[in-house]
Amino acid sequence: MTNIGKKTSLLTRRRALQGLGAGVGAMAATGVLPGLSRFAHAQSSAPIKIGFQMHATGIGAAYGRWYDRTTKAAVERINGMGGINGRPVEIVTEDDGTDPKRGAEVLEKFANQHGCDVAFGTLFSHVVIGSAPRAGELKLPYFVVSEGHHVASGMLNRYTLQPGITDVKSQVQSMAPFVAANLGKKVTMIYPDFAFGHDHRDFFTEAVTAQGGEVVAQIAIPPTETSFTRYFPNIPRDTEVIYHVMVGPAVLTFVKELGEFFGPSRPEIFGFIDSLEAVAINSPGLEFLEGTYFWEGNPRHAQADQTSHDKMYRAAVGVDDMGASVTDSKDVSTYAHMFGCWETLNIIKAGMEASGYQGPADRSTLIEAVEAMSDMPMSDDHPQGPKRFNGKTHQTFGVQYISKVTDGKLVVVHTASIDDGLYEDEVDYTTQSF
Amino acid sequence: MGGCNRHVDRKREMASGSSRIRWGSVIWSFAIAVVAVMLPGLAWAHAAEQGFVLLMPTDIYIAAGAATVAASIVLVGLVPVQAVVRVFRPLPLRAVLCPERAATGVSLLSTLVFLALVWLGFKGPNDPLANLLPLTIWTLLWVMFVVLQAVFGDLWRWLNPWTGLYRVVAASRRPPFQLPQAVGSWFAVALLILLNLFALADLAPDDPERLAVVALAYWVITFLGMVLFGAQDWLARVEVFSVFFRLMARLSPLRFGPRPAIGWPGWQALERPETDPSRAVFCLVLLGSGSFDGLHETFWWLAQIGINPLEFPGRSAVVWPSTLGLLAGNIVLVAIFALAVAAGMALACGQERRARLGPAFTAFSVSILPIALGYHVAHYLPSFLVQIQYVGVALGDPFERGWHLFGLGHGHVTTGFLNNAATVRVLWLTQAGAVVASHVVSVLMAHHVAVHLVQGRSAVLRCQAGLAILMIVYTIFGLWLLASPRGV
Repeated sequence: MTNIGKKTSLLTRRRALQGLGAGVGAMAATGVLPGLSRFAHAQSSAPIKIGFQMHATGIGAAYGRWYDRTTKAAVERINGMGGINGRPVEIVTEDDGTDPKRGAEVLEKFANQHGCDVAFGTLFSHVVIGSAPRAGELKLPYFVVSEGHHVASGMLNRYTLQPGITDVKSQVQSMAPFVAANLGKKVTMIYPDFAFGHDHRDFFTEAVTAQGGEVVAQIAIPPTETSFTRYFPNIPRDTEVIYHVMVGPAVLTFVKELGEFFGPSRPEIFGFIDSLEAVAINSPGLEFLEGTYFWEGNPRHAQADQTSHDKMYRAAVGVDDMGASVTDSKDVSTYAHMFGCWETLNIIKAGMEASGYQGPADRSTLIEAVEAMSDMPMSDDHPQGPKRFNGKTHQTFGVQYISKVTDGKLVVVHTASIDDGLYEDEVDYTTQSF
Repeated sequence: MGGCNRHVDRKREMASGSSRIRWGSVIWSFAIAVVAVMLPGLAWAHAAEQGFVLLMPTDIYIAAGAATVAASIVLVGLVPVQAVVRVFRPLPLRAVLCPERAATGVSLLSTLVFLALVWLGFKGPNDPLANLLPLTIWTLLWVMFVVLQAVFGDLWRWLNPWTGLYRVVAASRRPPFQLPQAVGSWFAVALLILLNLFALADLAPDDPERLAVVALAYWVITFLGMVLFGAQDWLARVEVFSVFFRLMARLSPLRFGPRPAIGWPGWQALERPETDPSRAVFCLVLLGSGSFDGLHETFWWLAQIGINPLEFPGRSAVVWPSTLGLLAGNIVLVAIFALAVAAGMALACGQERRARLGPAFTAFSVSILPIALGYHVAHYLPSFLVQIQYVGVALGDPFERGWHLFGLGHGHVTTGFLNNAATVRVLWLTQAGAVVASHVVSVLMAHHVAVHLVQGRSAVLRCQAGLAILMIVYTIFGLWLLASPRGV
C-alpha cells in the first residue's frame, strides 16, 4: 500500500505507452516504419544484445536447432530493415543444456557478462520455471517461447513474458468447439500419466463439457510404457472421438498399435502435432494417421490458400512447402512451435521502438511497452496469424489450426479463433513493482 | 517389468510367421554391418530417434547378435588352439609409414592449434555448437580420434600437444623426480573416471569458457608433470588421453615406427602379456564408463532413480545419481570380470587358481579393449553424424562472422537421416554390428591370451568359460542398450 503513488504513475505511463505501442505495432505490421535508413539516427550505434537461451544440448536439442535457425533468420530480417531504433541486433547464444539450474546461470551471464539488453527464446517449461526467478532478480526482461501455462498462471514474475506463442491451456480449450461440433461428443482421452497429460485432461475435459460434449473415458498411460495394446480395450465402445497426446519415443509405436487395434473401422481421432513434431507424417508405419486430425500451432504443410506472410517466413527460415529444410527434405522442422521465436523477436523490436529503448536502464519501460500491446494483425512480423497480447497475464492469444491428414498431407480444415482460446485472467503482473 | 515382458511378447508376435526369411536377412544385415564397422569413413548413426528403433524387431536382432558371439566362441573352441594364435601374427611392412623426424614439428603445431582453440574458448562464440574448442575436444578428439587411433595406429604420438614442446625445452634435462612404480597407472584410472564424470555429470561440459579453463589447466599440469617426472613415465602412466589412445592404438592393424607391420586387429595388444593391474582396471573402466553412459539414458535407469523419462528434469537434478552410478557401474564391472576370470581359472587350474588369478585378470583385460571400442562407436555414432556437421560449419566460420572459409559453412546442419525409418534402420544395424563385431574380436583375443596363460587344449578352453558367458551376456546388454527407449 505504500507505493500507491508509484503504481498510479506507472499505470499512467502504461496508458500513454498503450497508444504508442498499438501505433508502432500497426506501423511495423504494415511495414511502414522500418527500413527507412539502415541503422540511422541512433543515439548509440552499439548493437542491441539479445541473449538467446538455447537448448543446444540436452533433451531439447532437436527443438533448439530449429529455434536457433528461426532466430537467426528473424534477426537477419530485422537487421536488414534497419535494426531496432537504428541499432543492429546481435544475438548472444548460450546453451542452457535444457536444464533449469544452468538456465539460471545463463541468464546471469547474459546480464552480467555479456551486457545483454534482454533474454529470449526458452522452450522447455522446467527451464523457464527454473530461470524466471533469476530473471526477476537480475531485472532482465525474459521473453520465453515455451507454450507453458506457467506464465499466465501467475507463478512467474513481471520480468517474464510470453508474447509470441500461445499457451497449452488456450490451445486445448480452443480445440473443444470443433471436436464437439464436427468429430463427436463422446470423447476418450489417452494421455501420459504426468503433469503434461494431466493438463490436457483437465483443460480439455472442462472445455468439451462446456460445449455439450462428454469425456467418456480418461486412459492414463504410465510414462515408461512402450507398448499400448493392453490399454485399448479400455476405450468404451460408444467412443466417437479419441483425443491423444502421447509424447516420447514410443509415440510411433502407439500410433501403429492403435491402427492395428481398430483396423479399418475406427472412431475419429484427434491429436496434438507435438507427438509427431519433426517427424514426417507420411513415414512408414504412420499410414493409420490418414484421415485423423491434429492441432497445429502453425500449419507445417503450405496450404492452398497460403498467405504471403507464411511464404516469406518459410523462405527466410529455409523451410519448404512440406515443412522440411530446403537443404534436406527429410529434415522436418518443428514448424508448429518455432514461429514463436520469429514473432517474439518482432515484438521485442516493436516494444523497444515504442519505448524508445536505449539501454538496460530502460528495461522496465520496455516491459511496460510490451504490456501495453494488444492486437497484432497477421503480417510478416506475425506470419502464424493475428495475436492478442494480454499485458496483465503476460500471455499472448492467437488462432489455432486443426488439420486433417489427407493423402499424407496436413490440410487445415478449421482455424480456431482467438476468442475460442481466451480464458479468465489468473494474474495481473502489472500490479507487481519492478 | 510387466511392461518389458509385454514389449518382448509383442515383438515376438510381430516376428512370428516369417522367421526363416527374417533370420536370413538379419544375418545378412549383420554381415554388412560388421563389414561396415571395419571401413573407415562410413557414416555413423544417431541413437536419439528411438521412435523408429522401437518399431524394429530388435529382439530378433539382439538374439542374432548373441548367437553370433556364441557361434564365434564355439568355432574358436573347435579349431586347433594354435590356429587362433596364428591369426594374430603380423606381417612386416617395408615402408616406413611416417618419419619420426616429423614428430616434434607436428606436436609443436598441435600445441599452437590447442592454444588457439583455448583462446577461442575464452573469446569465441558462446554457443558450444559454434565454438571449435568443445567441438574439437568432444567430437574430434574424444569421439573421432579414438576410432582413428584404433584404425590407423598411434597417431597421438605425433599429434599430442606436449611432446614437441617438451623436446624443445626440457628433454635434455634429467627429470628431478621419478614416479614410484607402486602407483602404476592408477592416476590415469582416476583421471579417466574424473573425465567421465565431467562429461556425464557436470552441468555444462560443453560450455566453451568452462572447457577452456579445464583444458588449459590440464595442459599445464600435464606439461609440468612431464618436466618433473619425465615425459615417458607421465604420458604412459598418468596422462589419461595418452594412456587411452595408446591402448586403442594397440587394437590397430597398423604399427608405425622402426618395425612397421600390419596384422589382425588386436595383434599389438597381444604382442606382450599385459602385466600392469592398474592398466587392466583402466581397460575395464573404459568399458564400464561407456556402458554406464548408455545405461543412464535409458527409461530403465531413469525409472530406478525415480525420474519420469518423458520429463527429464535436466542434468542438475541427477548429478549424484549419475556420479554414484558411474562409480558403482565400474566397480560392478570390475567385480564381474574378476568373477568370470576366477571361474575360468578354477575350472582350468584347480588349486592353483588363487596364485594365478591376479596375472590372469590382468592378462585377460586386453580382450576388453575391442568391446570398449565397439561400445564407443555404437554409443557416439549418434551424435557424431550431427556434430561433425557443426564442426564443418564452425571451421568455415570460427568467429560466427558469416564467413565461409575453405568453402565450408554453407548450408544447414541436418538430422533428417534420423527422422527416417530406412536410414535409422541402417544406422541401428551399423551400431549393433559394432557391438557384435567387437565381441567377436574380443573372443579371439581372449583365446590368444588363454593359450599363453595355461597349458593344454582343455585348460585353454576351460579357463575362458567364465569370460565366454560374460561376452554373450554383455553382447545382449549392449544391444539391449541400443534398443531401449531413452529419456535423456
